[in-house]
Amino acid sequence: MSDSGPPREPSGRGADVVWSIIGTLVAGVLAWGFIGWLLDQWLGTRFLVAVGIIVGMAGAMYLIIRRHGGG
Amino acid sequence: MNLPTLPLAQREGFHAPGIEIFEWPDIVHLEVAGIDLSINRVVLQMFLVALLVWGLFFLAFRRPRLVPSGLQNVMETLVDFIRNQIVLEVIGRDGLRFLPYLTTLFVFVLFGNLGGVLPLIQFPLNGRMALPAVMAICSLLLFISVGISSQGPAYFRNALFPPGIPWPVYVLLTPIEFVSTFVVRPVTLAIRLLANMIAGHLILSVFFVATGYMLTSANISVIFGLGSLIFSVALIAFELFVAGLQAYVFTILSAVYIAGALEPEH
Repeated sequence: MSDSGPPREPSGRGADVVWSIIGTLVAGVLAWGFIGWLLDQWLGTRFLVAVGIIVGMAGAMYLIIRRHGGG
Repeated sequence: MNLPTLPLAQREGFHAPGIEIFEWPDIVHLEVAGIDLSINRVVLQMFLVALLVWGLFFLAFRRPRLVPSGLQNVMETLVDFIRNQIVLEVIGRDGLRFLPYLTTLFVFVLFGNLGGVLPLIQFPLNGRMALPAVMAICSLLLFISVGISSQGPAYFRNALFPPGIPWPVYVLLTPIEFVSTFVVRPVTLAIRLLANMIAGHLILSVFFVATGYMLTSANISVIFGLGSLIFSVALIAFELFVAGLQAYVFTILSAVYIAGALEPEH
């Protein structure tokens, strides 16, 4: 490291980006899958957990694209 | 039962080591108020590693000299590595106050992992859930308190409501952000380390037990035994690499989470 030279973007974040993407995907599935499961228990249905998982995945992908997608 | 149809390994009584090699009997049984505080081999090893880490730093920096030599030199290189490669790279100058935590974390995880390849010890401390879980909870509590102290209550708003999104979408995204920041982060931190250590220890055990088994059998297996002996040695080198890598990953991700808590996301 040196204090001179042009300021640069902190590197070492490659691993962070990968884990953040995986973490967000997993979190989306877990969060909305759980909500769907709770609704299933409450309403006595069986399909809402699947709906929740898909909704969570979609939300997670939206977040990932917003955060890491080019722009 | 018809003997020849049995697989060779089963007939000759080879038992591959399984997950039971991670279970140790209590040496001292201790129970306080219903909480099991028994001491087994893993606990003893944990005390040993803690003592070793403390002792190394104490001996190295007891009488620090301007021109370091010996142990001080080694430990300074280690601290420099964490400072330059992790703290300054990931957090920046602002992160130097977290250098003691991150250095301790790195060295403790590393020494815990190295137990897996150390002769006579041969058990990775982080192959049990307790330590990775406690360290992940430490990192979780640290980055939450860093967030609160640097952003105030707005930390939770920034973490749960990413900016620049139309408000109805928050219904969809806020649960995801909550789970990803406060649940998935510590859980993956702990499981990544635990799973790597379990897998490494199992592979080493299977290879060495099988090598011993094949080398002592009086048939053609001896040739394969020689091959697997060579491979076992290569696997030890690989486990050394994994021990260092996982300590590094645990530390750098803790640093990344702290960095994320210091400043709101843009």
